[in-house]
Amino acid sequence: MFELPILLQILWTSVATSTYYVLFAIAFSLTLKVAQVWNFAQAAVMGVAFYGMFAAMRLWNWPAALGFVLGLVLAIALSMAVEVWGYRVLKRRRSSALLLFIFAIVVAEFIAYLLTLFFGTEPESLTKSMTADIYLAGGVAISSWDLGALAATIVTCAALAAYLRFTRQGQFLFAVADNAALAELYGISANRAILTAMVLSAALVAVGIYLYGTRASMIPNAPLDLMLLAVIATILGGIGSLAGAAGAAVFLSLLQSGSILFIPSQWQSSLIYFVLFVVILFFPTGFRLPAWPRRRR
Amino acid sequence: MEYLYSVLILIGIYTILAASFNLIVGFGGLISIAHPIFFALAAYCSAILNLHLGVPISLAIVIGALFSTVMSFALSLPSLRISGDYLLIASIGFQLGFVEVIKNVEIAGAASGLTGIESLYTSEQRSLYFAITVLVVAAVVVWLVHRMTSGDYGRAIQAMRDDEEAFTSLGRNAMAVKITIFAVGSGLAGLAGALYAHHFQFLSPDQFGITQSALILTMVVVGGMGTTWGPVVGALLLVALPQAIAFLNLPAAIMAPLQGMIYTGLVLLFLYVRPGGLVTRRVRQ
Repeated sequence: MFELPILLQILWTSVATSTYYVLFAIAFSLTLKVAQVWNFAQAAVMGVAFYGMFAAMRLWNWPAALGFVLGLVLAIALSMAVEVWGYRVLKRRRSSALLLFIFAIVVAEFIAYLLTLFFGTEPESLTKSMTADIYLAGGVAISSWDLGALAATIVTCAALAAYLRFTRQGQFLFAVADNAALAELYGISANRAILTAMVLSAALVAVGIYLYGTRASMIPNAPLDLMLLAVIATILGGIGSLAGAAGAAVFLSLLQSGSILFIPSQWQSSLIYFVLFVVILFFPTGFRLPAWPRRRR
Repeated sequence: MEYLYSVLILIGIYTILAASFNLIVGFGGLISIAHPIFFALAAYCSAILNLHLGVPISLAIVIGALFSTVMSFALSLPSLRISGDYLLIASIGFQLGFVEVIKNVEIAGAASGLTGIESLYTSEQRSLYFAITVLVVAAVVVWLVHRMTSGDYGRAIQAMRDDEEAFTSLGRNAMAVKITIFAVGSGLAGLAGALYAHHFQFLSPDQFGITQSALILTMVVVGGMGTTWGPVVGALLLVALPQAIAFLNLPAAIMAPLQGMIYTGLVLLFLYVRPGGLVTRRVRQ
């Protein structure tokens, strides 16, 4: 069981599976960092993006690219609506964190019921067939989906990093995340920065859900479970750290797949919740690597 | 009539759940949403004791509620040192972790659910008797929570919630108060769970997930958090209103999501129109 090819296969499969987890985790972490909101409504955005793509690609036979664009547009529109008509209004009224949580979770549920009404509870995927070309490399099976998903995730993360690092608007997001009141004094619109974060997070979700939908099936209630892994990754990676959230998502995927070597497969999902409980109790600020010591000149 | 009794029973069960949850979240200020798992643990405990060990139902119900009380320490002892959002997320982990455990325990029926649970009453009028029992228990629970949150101990709970540091500096043990209200609230949720099991006679782990948490939480918030009557109003409203379309005879595939949309839509509406809840706290002059 502990033979090298098996271990390598588990490692590769975990990394490939983690691609959409990484995108969901960064999306959740970005919203938490900039908007200071545990955006459980991300599950609604995931659901709308998936079923938008599903309707376009499977029901109306649109090309995949157009289907993706429709899902992306719907995800962004819903995310903006949640921010403008939801969080912003509730924050203006100085609502408690509990009320924001209820709003987010109820939006997620409302959308899940709406999607159930239109699409039913049968599991659906974005493609008719989920088979992919398989290549063997050193005894490890690598599918064309794996390669495509990795490439899409790397490109998306690189684009996000470039936007946040090299554009003024991207830097404004960090300014607002650090101190919104001070940022406002310097003429940065906190509302605009938060809206930008919501749009970026919706775009990440759309890419992630496309990857998920071309590999697995979805039911309207599934996004909430999928999103919980993003929540765990956000905490584990250290709240406010996008790279940490991405790393934690890869770790959780490895843990989930690798646990098959130690525990029966039916206990795999329990393990994730156990990790969540332990992490939040004993490492509530997540794991952070120690900073590099600076050389004195 | 059978349908009406079922609605009344649900109102009673959810009144117990909402009132006991209000004790934890509204009066105690402890933002944990793991309440449904204590509902579930007692339901399963009571059902299994009766099914497999032949324990009489009324005794099994009591043991189930006590089991939930004891299990509440597994969450409260380690996690009450954190608060706010962190406690909320820890409670999600605790709850969903246990739901996953139930899904894998054969004696609890695993993922397909536990069937064949005996009913508390066996006569033809069982639904009527059960509705009366549940409504009486609900009234007692509401009274109990009211008694606990008024008077000296009630003032201590509210002082702890409003300013824990000041409360502790006066020599009071905040942790003991938190653990007590958590245990009492969870035990009462357990009582609701055990009653539920012995009327509906079927338990499935999916009934106790995050959707159930959101339902109970919204009952408390929409009704009025930290008030005696708020959870009662919340439970009544959120169980009864979605039933308004039950008489339209729509197919189940349409009815269930439509009822869900009505309930979530109502919650969203109340969050905007009356964010403080329908019943507000009385402020002493």
